[in-house]
Amino acid sequence: MSMANDDNTPSLSQMSSNIFGDLLDSIIVDVSSECHRIARLGLDRNLEEEEEELRLSTQARARVADPSNNGETNTKSVVDIFGQTPPAVASEIFECMNCGRSTVAGRFAPHLEKCMGKVRKARLKATRSSTASQNRYSRESPVSTYSPYSSSNRIANGGTPVSGEDYRDGSFEEL
Amino acid sequence: MRGSINRPPTPDTEEDREQELSLQEIINIKMIESGELERLKELLRERLIECGWRDEMKSICRAFVRKKGRNNVNVDDLIQVMAPKGRGEWFFVVSPFSRGLTPSIPDSVKAELLHQIQTFLKSAIP
Repeated sequence: MSMANDDNTPSLSQMSSNIFGDLLDSIIVDVSSECHRIARLGLDRNLEEEEEELRLSTQARARVADPSNNGETNTKSVVDIFGQTPPAVASEIFECMNCGRSTVAGRFAPHLEKCMGKVRKARLKATRSSTASQNRYSRESPVSTYSPYSSSNRIANGGTPVSGEDYRDGSFEEL
Repeated sequence: MRGSINRPPTPDTEEDREQELSLQEIINIKMIESGELERLKELLRERLIECGWRDEMKSICRAFVRKKGRNNVNVDDLIQVMAPKGRGEWFFVVSPFSRGLTPSIPDSVKAELLHQIQTFLKSAIP
């Protein structure tokens, strides 16, 4: 669509293209100068891949060496540096806090289903109200450690921690 | 043409060129004053971010910086390298920095901008 009488006056589409080109050029300059600035000021943390790998490996080593971290916690919630996820079945053996049996961690949940049922009926008469409130709280709290003792302290649902209920709180957390 | 017979002829091209510039200049001024230029630029910038063009450009920049060394990068050199890439002039893009990567501008983005520019031009040209 040309509105020109001679060759010197550009057509409408030509003018549009020129203007578009100018807009694009100015944006290119913006991007370039920003990248230049980042490069010169060293603001790009990932610029050197070797530096990045070094940083990540230092972090990973710190995490592994940290004694306060529970080893199971790390392998359960974090992908390790090789990109592997921990084995599907947790093989650690410990004591069920409810019935006292030694249980494999991976089979703990089904065990609890049976285990809890028997204990609950026995205690239901005496502790009905506190059970309801504790179930509510335990569902909302985040899973973090296996240790039933620390979790029961944290949840401290007003009232005397009767041993059975507190252990239950910890258990539900882990589920 | 106000030339008289006694006067040496004034070259025509100069006047024509001036008129041509005036038209474009008039358009330019109108665009800037109405804020249309800025609006179009922001629109284009936003579209280019959305389609990933900007990220690709930054990635090429980083490759360039990595090759050259952080402190050896000159902004003019960088622009010289980035401009053909950004425009999608792929035949110039045989560079060691980012062989496979040519940030492309989606046709829809280009069409949208051109359409808006043309709309403005039509209203601005007497």
